[in-house]
Amino acid sequence: MIGEYLALALATPDAPLVADALQRFFRPSTFARLVVEGLGKAAVYFILAVGLTLVFGLMGVLNFAHGAFAMLGAYLGGVLMVVALAGGAGPFTTVAFFFVVAAVVFALLTAVGSALEVSLIRPIYDRTPMYQILLTFGVGLILEEATRIVATLQGIQPEPQWQAPMGTLPDALAARYDILGANIRGLYLFEIGLGVLAAVGVWLFLTRTLYGLYIRAGSEDPEMVEALGIDVRKAFTIVFGLGTGLAAVGGVLLMWDPVWGPSVLLNIDVLLYAFVVVIIGGLGSFKGTLVAAVIVGVADSFTTWLFTTGIVDFSGLPEITIFLLLVIALIVRPQGLYGVEEVGGH
Amino acid sequence: MERLEESTTDGHWLREYARDHVVHGLVILAFFLYPPVYGLLVDSPLGFEAEAFLPGLTFMIVVLYLGLFAMSFDFVSGYTGYLSFGHAAFYGTGAYFVVLAANGQVPGIPDGTPFMITMLLGAFLAGVLALAIGAVSFRLTGVYFAMITLGFAQVLYELIRNWGFVSANPREGATISGDGLEIGVPYVESLSFAVGRLTGDSFENVLGTGIDISTTMTSYYALAVVVLVCYFAMQRIIHSPFGTVMIAIRENEERAEAIGYNVFWYKMGAFAMSAFFAAIAGALFAAYSRSVSPENTYFFLVTADALIVTIVGGIGTLAGPLFGTVFHEWLEDVLSTENEGVATYLRETLSEGVLATDIAGFTLADVINSAVDGRAPLYLGIVFVLFVLFVPNGLLGSVRDRLGGTVAKRAPTLLERYRR
Repeated sequence: MIGEYLALALATPDAPLVADALQRFFRPSTFARLVVEGLGKAAVYFILAVGLTLVFGLMGVLNFAHGAFAMLGAYLGGVLMVVALAGGAGPFTTVAFFFVVAAVVFALLTAVGSALEVSLIRPIYDRTPMYQILLTFGVGLILEEATRIVATLQGIQPEPQWQAPMGTLPDALAARYDILGANIRGLYLFEIGLGVLAAVGVWLFLTRTLYGLYIRAGSEDPEMVEALGIDVRKAFTIVFGLGTGLAAVGGVLLMWDPVWGPSVLLNIDVLLYAFVVVIIGGLGSFKGTLVAAVIVGVADSFTTWLFTTGIVDFSGLPEITIFLLLVIALIVRPQGLYGVEEVGGH
Repeated sequence: MERLEESTTDGHWLREYARDHVVHGLVILAFFLYPPVYGLLVDSPLGFEAEAFLPGLTFMIVVLYLGLFAMSFDFVSGYTGYLSFGHAAFYGTGAYFVVLAANGQVPGIPDGTPFMITMLLGAFLAGVLALAIGAVSFRLTGVYFAMITLGFAQVLYELIRNWGFVSANPREGATISGDGLEIGVPYVESLSFAVGRLTGDSFENVLGTGIDISTTMTSYYALAVVVLVCYFAMQRIIHSPFGTVMIAIRENEERAEAIGYNVFWYKMGAFAMSAFFAAIAGALFAAYSRSVSPENTYFFLVTADALIVTIVGGIGTLAGPLFGTVFHEWLEDVLSTENEGVATYLRETLSEGVLATDIAGFTLADVINSAVDGRAPLYLGIVFVLFVLFVPNGLLGSVRDRLGGTVAKRAPTLLERYRR
């Protein structure tokens, strides 16, 4: 069955096309373009996943509501952008607004996440990790359906993607630029910039602040952190809030992305992608998340190219590659690239 | 918990057996009587209310196959403690195998092979698939096991979603092109019943009793028999020495290994059996709905539904997931307009003036349309979170804790005490 299937998937029209495509593939400009696109995607994946790994690192909680927070971020960011730029604005004002909106959404969702941790997750830390998975999954479900209700009442849905925020993308970012012979979309450069910003920010938080120290200690040895008399409850609240806020910022970024856009379906999509990145990198590892995001992002851009050029006529190629990466990573290295073995005791 | 005195040493083995299964009998009777009672209620003066607040027959059929899927999920997740997050892969395998076989697309399986045979073949295929997945997955535990099974299921989901062999438009899924499928004893014409949504067998004046059995009812009873057999098979396994080892693995895997059990093969066995029953559930779904899509078979959310109803019904109790599914489908039904649910009821009973009432800028009618109609996931999510927080053992698990033993075992003693 699989063999027949593979034969089908790899059925190529004629050999010259493949040779031609391969030639184009090894042209430096194509290669560079794909790498830059991959890094752009990697930046998005990194921002979407890093909050998840922070929360897991300290608390051992695999947050299944992570995707829902990203979805909320996309909608909130979209609404704010559309309202703020109702009259239209120049590219610089728009980008400046984008940062304001991202900051507002980050602050808002950090507060929401902290409140959630205190009210719902705190009472069940003493149970097995499964119950925290279940609880956060339920919260994600509620958020998704509540968003759908609001979106229906406001007339935003039922179109699967709410196109309005994408219209606020400045032309300067939508355009393509020739950089060293490679034809690169401005948005990818913007995303890479934001990704670097987020990575540096989180790295500074981890290495230069007290709570960063708690997280690093917590992902090494949670019992010892508690034994040393650190107020873990407060650290949990803050870290869960920050993880939520980071997911939401990722969502704000998706609002402009031509592949995603604000939609209730983001909940599950983001969740699955964030899981893949975090698991490949090793749950709870910042470095692992960064490396895995780059691997997944580049694999995504290369396989998307393979499909669009017709070398492979299997439309699910990018997605399947990403989940195969997850499976292979777990088989070869169960704890992930930089993961600590048996993090969180499970 | 203090255990009540066992007093089952009297009488014939048959009487003891019946005593142990009193509760099972009552549940089966309730399921058996539901369609006629529902029919009577709908025809009664309370018909409008009955349609609005009781699950319709089509939803009870969904209870049967989704309940079986949830039970198979609980069989491995609740009893060995390994969360099988990609269980939908097996459900989907059963469903797709049956559809493809019915369309004559599976090599080696001729057209017209009875459904019960293709169903079992599909279930065996799912069992083999489970062994293959389990062989690499059971090196991992906890969250990592959940993730690798999820990964495998998503890979299969993407494959089936883009595989042109399945149908002209694989993203939409595949449909059975020929007649409806027959459940029953293969090659025995009089014991086979065609089942299916909108198609199937119907019977008038059964055995001269004056009772008519509609096509939907036939499907319901035919599916119910298969689910019942599967339930008792799983129940038998769990109460066998094999099942005891499964529970030992859940409670303390290291200790089970130290005693001398090869826990790897026990886990593999449990996983494969669970996949077998999951595939049967999928096959029943395909036979009834006559069409399958990647979204309602292989997708991650199908497993999530099973997980939710398992928690609501009681994880680690085989019948719990079935009751959880009853709750789930009841909620879906009363909150949808497909089957005259609550939204329709409210629209028709509330007066025009009330419906036009303004609530924060929207009329009440708007609110009903968007917050009630088809919004089961929201309310299910809320109930689910409340269960996780306050009733972690679920419905049946809590009852079991209260009684101090399985309901089937304790109920006769309790009944006897009240009779005196």
